[in-house]
Amino acid sequence: MNPLLRDILVWLVKAGVVYGGLLGVAAGMTLAERKVSAWMQYRHGPNRVGPWGLLQPIADGVKFIFKESLTPDGANRWLFRFAPAIAAVPAMMTVAVIPFGPAVPLPDSWGVPAAFTNLSVTDLDIGLMYLLAIGGLSIYGVILGGWASNSKFSLLGGLRASAQMISYELTLILTILAVVALSGSLSLRGVVEAQPDFWEWNVFHQPLAFVLFSIAAFAETNRHPFDFAECEPELVSGFHTEYSSMRFALFALGEYCAMVVMASLWTTLFLGGYKVPFWENAPWFVCVAAFCAKTSLFLFLYLWVRWTLPRFRFDQLMHLGWKVFLPLALVNLFLTGAAVSYGVDLW
Amino acid sequence: MVIVRRKELSLLEKLYLPEIARGLSITFRKLFEKKITRQYPEEPLPKDEVTRGQPRLVVKDDGNIACVSCGMCEIACPAYAITIDGGETDRAIEREPVHFEIDMLRCILCGFCEEACPKDAIFMSDELELADYSRGALIYDLAKLKRPKSALQKRIDYVYRLNNRWRKSPSTR
Repeated sequence: MNPLLRDILVWLVKAGVVYGGLLGVAAGMTLAERKVSAWMQYRHGPNRVGPWGLLQPIADGVKFIFKESLTPDGANRWLFRFAPAIAAVPAMMTVAVIPFGPAVPLPDSWGVPAAFTNLSVTDLDIGLMYLLAIGGLSIYGVILGGWASNSKFSLLGGLRASAQMISYELTLILTILAVVALSGSLSLRGVVEAQPDFWEWNVFHQPLAFVLFSIAAFAETNRHPFDFAECEPELVSGFHTEYSSMRFALFALGEYCAMVVMASLWTTLFLGGYKVPFWENAPWFVCVAAFCAKTSLFLFLYLWVRWTLPRFRFDQLMHLGWKVFLPLALVNLFLTGAAVSYGVDLW
Repeated sequence: MVIVRRKELSLLEKLYLPEIARGLSITFRKLFEKKITRQYPEEPLPKDEVTRGQPRLVVKDDGNIACVSCGMCEIACPAYAITIDGGETDRAIEREPVHFEIDMLRCILCGFCEEACPKDAIFMSDELELADYSRGALIYDLAKLKRPKSALQKRIDYVYRLNNRWRKSPSTR
């Protein structure tokens, strides 16, 4: 067999696993969201479809497919149809650079020499920049969906979402820059390799950046307590008020995929990615399991916070973003930069 | 005029984060607490003798219904839900219903029929579920209304006790 053919095969398998996993986890999150919210309110949650309600996402999907897809009068038809796709696609693109495991040996078979393959769809040298650049596009789906609906509630929701995402993307990027300064690499795998040991995880070296990133991550994915794009009490349902059927489902899918990507980025940047604590050179499947465990921790945090905190007021959100987080992130970046360039170990 | 004095927040409270952690710990503890939702069809509603469900006809221990089709319940019924056609029988009571229909869509579960009945033939059972696919299926005939006396015994004892209490009260003695 041609080595190139094997590379293509391996790449296809990896892509299939990553995208299948992403969509599977996103579907599971819709169930988990309802289950966790129910448990926190002394309820059982969905438990009729399949054992423990495990088939609920499938039932929901079937329901969405068979619903009528409405387009409001006066809506911009093309943008209205296009917006859900723009909202969903960036999250699915960015997951490609997330490293979910170390190098895996490929056996010497079919006349092709043994080799290694890194467990991620692709390892870009500027992975973080790619992730932020593409991830930032998802806001277009929200604001175009809001504008094309020809509804004041949708437009307000879209505008709020864009204002919020721009404000918090600054904090997000500044905190990521501090991590990049520490690890000296823009590649996500480089960031992981820079924190090999438990005590070298960035969460211990960059506690302030970790806290700021955590809060900005909630705002960036439009999740509670920052979900001003939806904001049911004031805006009906925000930017997707006028959406129904699979178009609505695409918005929801995009949101959950963005959450999954953000949780894995969180893990990669601050919790040592696929590294297993106190076990160097762990076998690759243990590493993948560790990555999944850490990521699900953050996914649970998303749900946990959503069902604990009430929504902010919009001016409070802006105040927090510009007057508190931005200066703190700048100071943190400045201190980190100074420490790195003068070779001082902050810890 | 009301002057509302808001509580001065301490520094830790102004920082939000410790308070957020406190809130999170509360919700986390609630995750494992006992669920209070009743899983309805599997866990039926609590019922006791006071439960006034749908009316049912008593079938005595000898296999005959106690009803003599006197029509008292038909007249007592405020919702006109009961329709009785009487007929002759060879039994000592000489009369029994040929048709006895209760339109369960009309029945308001008031229990007047139970009070009106002179023969203890109709009682409010503890059956509460009322759902079917057509209106016709909800007009209950004799076959659907018959219940053995043992199934209604709790309610029968309760009604007797209630009546005895009135009989023995000091004002009427």
